[in-house]
Parts: sequence; C-alpha cells; structure tokens
Amino acid sequence: MGLIEINHITKDYGKGKGVFDLSFDVQEGEILGFLGPNGAGKTTTIRQLLGFIKPDVGSVSIFGKNCFLQAHEIQRELGYLPGEIAFMDSMSGIEFIRFVADMKGMNGLERAKELMERFELEPSGKIKKMSKGMKQKIGIVCAFMQNPRILILDEPTSGLDPLMQNRFVELVLEEKKKGKTILMSSHIFEEVERTCDRAAIIRQGRLVAVDGMDRLCQGRKKKIEITFADADMALKYGEVFKQAQVNGCRVSMNVGNDMDMAVKEAARYTVKDLNINTQSLEEFFMHFYSQNRED
Amino acid sequence: MNFTLYKREWKNNWILLLLFAAVLTMYACMIVSMFDPKMEDSLSIMSESMPEIFAAFGMADVGKTLLEFVTGYLYGMLLIAFPAVYIIILSNRLVARYVDNGSMAYILAVPSKRGRIIFTQAVFSISSLLVLLAYVAGVIIACSQFMFYGEMELAAFLKLNAGLFGLWIMLGGVCFLFSCIFNDTKWSAGLSTAFVVYSLLVQMVSQVGDKFENLKYITPLTMFQSDAFAAGNSEAWLGCIVMYIIGAVCYTAGIIVFTKRDLPI
Repeated sequence: MGLIEINHITKDYGKGKGVFDLSFDVQEGEILGFLGPNGAGKTTTIRQLLGFIKPDVGSVSIFGKNCFLQAHEIQRELGYLPGEIAFMDSMSGIEFIRFVADMKGMNGLERAKELMERFELEPSGKIKKMSKGMKQKIGIVCAFMQNPRILILDEPTSGLDPLMQNRFVELVLEEKKKGKTILMSSHIFEEVERTCDRAAIIRQGRLVAVDGMDRLCQGRKKKIEITFADADMALKYGEVFKQAQVNGCRVSMNVGNDMDMAVKEAARYTVKDLNINTQSLEEFFMHFYSQNRED
Repeated sequence: MNFTLYKREWKNNWILLLLFAAVLTMYACMIVSMFDPKMEDSLSIMSESMPEIFAAFGMADVGKTLLEFVTGYLYGMLLIAFPAVYIIILSNRLVARYVDNGSMAYILAVPSKRGRIIFTQAVFSISSLLVLLAYVAGVIIACSQFMFYGEMELAAFLKLNAGLFGLWIMLGGVCFLFSCIFNDTKWSAGLSTAFVVYSLLVQMVSQVGDKFENLKYITPLTMFQSDAFAAGNSEAWLGCIVMYIIGAVCYTAGIIVFTKRDLPI
C-alpha cells in the first residue's frame, strides 16, 4: 500500500476540465514526478490531496487517512508548496515564514534559516515588492522547514533561475536520502529526470502512464545537429541514417536508441561542430502519446 | 480557535479599525458638543429648515435630553452606516480575499481543522466589532461627562449600545456568510454592499413621510429601534434579540458552508 493513494477519483468541472477515473499511488521513500501539459488536472489532483476539494467519485488518502476529513491530521507531517504563489499582503518575508512556522506549531527556525542561506534568500523585505523567484524561494522554505515526512510540490522550480533550480534538485535528492516521500508536479523534464524514481503522466484529466523514469525515458529522442568539414562528408553520413536531413555541411536528425551508432559513425569524418537538443517536455508528450496510440 | 491566526488578523487589520474609530471619534465629539441643554441647539434649527433630509437620516423629532440627542443624531444613521462599511471591508478580508488570491492555501495547510480556522475568523470579526463599539461608546461617554457633566443617563445609554451591537452582529453575520460562500471577492463584496445599501436606502425612504412608512417592514434595520431604547421601552429588546439571533445563525452558517465546500486554492 502506498503512502499516498489515489483511487479512481473523478472531479468533473464540465467542458472536459477536471480529472477522470484517476488512480496512482506514491510509495514510502519514493519521489514521483507528476507530469502533464497545462490544464491537464495536476493541480486539481493536488488540491484533493491537500483536502481543499472533495472528489465526486473515488477516494484519496495519505497515511491511510481521508484527505478531506482528516486533513488536519495529515498536515502534521506534510509540507506543501502551492503552484500559485500567493501570500498574505503587507508582510515581510521573514514575518510570513514565522507566521507559517507558528501555524504549523513548529518551535525554532533553525531549518528555515539553513534553507534561506542555501537559496540565498534575503527575507527581510516586503513580500509585495519581491520578484517571482524570491517569492518561490519563500514558498520552498515554508514547505521544507518543518522537516515533514511527505512533500507535495506543485511546480516547485517555476520562477527560479538555473542555478537555483540546481540547488533545488540537490535539496530534493538530500530529502530523498533521508527517506522522504515526495510528489512533485513539473514542466521541466530535467528536474524530474534527475530526481524522480517514477513518473505519472496525465493528459486531459486522464492518466496516460505511470512507470519508472528509465522506462519512460526509453522512448525519448534527442535532436542532434552535426556540422562536417565539407558537404561530401555530410552526404555520406546522411546515407547511413534514414531519418537524417542533410543541408550542405550540416546534418540534423532525431536520435533515440541509436545514439552509439550515430556517434561512432560521425567519428569517421571531420566534425566541426555538434549540437544536441533535448526534447522539450511538450515534444516528449507528443511523442509519448503517438507511441501509445500505435500500441 | 487558532491564536496564531487571531493575532495575525489583529496585525493585518488594526489600521483599518483605527481609521473607522478615528472617523467615528470625530462625529461623536462633534455631535455631543452641539448639544445645548437650553434646548436651542443649532441642529434643531437646521432640522426645521430642511425637515425631509433630517428625517431621512432618522434625525427628525430629536428629543431634548442628551441621551435622546445622541440617539437621534448618532444612532439613527452615522453609527450604522460607517460601521457597515467597516463590516463589508473586514468580512471580505477575513475569508473571501484569501480564497480569491490563493493565500488560504497557507492558512489551511496546517495541523488545524478547517472549522477551527474559520471559527477563528468569525471570532475575530465579532471581537473587532466589540472593540469598536466599546471604544465609540467610551468616547461618547467621555465627551458627555467632559462637556455636560452628569447629563447622560448612563444605564439607558449602555442598553442602547447593546441594541446597536445586535445590529452590527446581524450585518457582520450576513457579510461573513457571503464571504464564506463565494470564491470571488467581486461577488462577496458586491452582495454585502448591495445588502447594506438596500437596507439603508429603504430605511431612509421609509422615514421621510407617511406615504412610504410601510417600507420599514422590508428593511432589517427597522429591528433596531433606537428611540425605544432611549425611552426605556422594553419592546426594543425584541427586535434586538432577533438581530442577535440572525447574526449568530449567519456566522454559524458561514462556518458550516466554508468547512464543507470545495476551495479553488
């Protein structure tokens, strides 16, 4: 039995919005990535886990407790980062962090201070005047500072610069080592790829796949672009791969499992430049869905 | 009751309360100072020159004692309309605004039942009204004692304030209920304002002449009969008790609705 259990929930908002017959679970000590395009129902699912809304059909539980009726019991050991950053007005950052700590019944802000240093957050200013990234950092501090057993993070790195995104990934990996259970929705494939054991993919409110990251990544392609010393080399190289597009000295193509061959083949010629573009999450989805339809 | 949240709300709202307290202080001092025990006060002369307007504000036939004077000029309109604006603003700040802007997520993602959180907001609403009333009544008593020592009939004046508080509780309950029902401040503030404006306007029209007198039966404000308190009339209590009951029912309904409903946060 999972620490977080989602059993056949349906929450219908009409016009195809909501979630429909969604089921998956998160095991203790696991990090589950929750992926899907905008409006797919990720936040709707998370709101049910937090006990803000009730499912029309089905049930959601954390620690075996009903997420709506026993929300206050679950909250003792839950850290939550909302997808929309909205704090109480007119408070300074540190005031807000203290307020949340008091509301959660925490004693001491040691851990919060540690997190603030880690994310280089200077929390004395008014929240109203803070940038989106600063606010996001406050949200992260509030979610992690109580050292909870479970973390539910809705788009945790939105608004963070790449350096801070990296620090966030490190933080998540540390928490994982401590045995924390994390459910994390995201748009950014890299952070999910680096942190998660499994991922659940959702589209239009329905579950498309739940599987280990390695299996989900199998079908993932990279677009490589090689510039050779002359057009002749490019042409010869292009003949080997049926998906290759040759344009003068440049060859571009999508590479999946044949990466090894693509690299070794290129080594026979003079390579002047090499570009590798990872598929964006959207491209991955498109690929994933089309692959699923073929099955 | 969540004391962390309760304290936070005092910090969030004391300026708002101070603002209304200051406005009411000004009016209270002004009206009391206009009282003239020799019964030739400037207000009654003004009142004779434009009786309809004074009647609309419940200021017609103001009696001759200091209590009747204060009742007529302050408790007929000023101490209803200004606190009503405070109530509309406060009620929205306490619930609907947090839901609307999403910060309710932080208030609810704590090891405290949703019912307890919203109960705290209701308690704050009522206690801030109590503070405002105690303050205003205190100012009026202080002004009266300072300017017309011994003129104010204190016991009757306190009863009058107990009645006024019933009216405030009723308005507070209705606005709190609206705030608990709607996700959008546009709706909660809109309906609260519509309710208050309707009640006040109908009362004003009903007071102007005999033609519209029956309109008083369709505004809840009629239940507060300020003159009856001043006259020591026991039937004043009946309306007053009904207002307390309406207020209590609305606050309770707001708490129940909020505890059970889906929140888009």
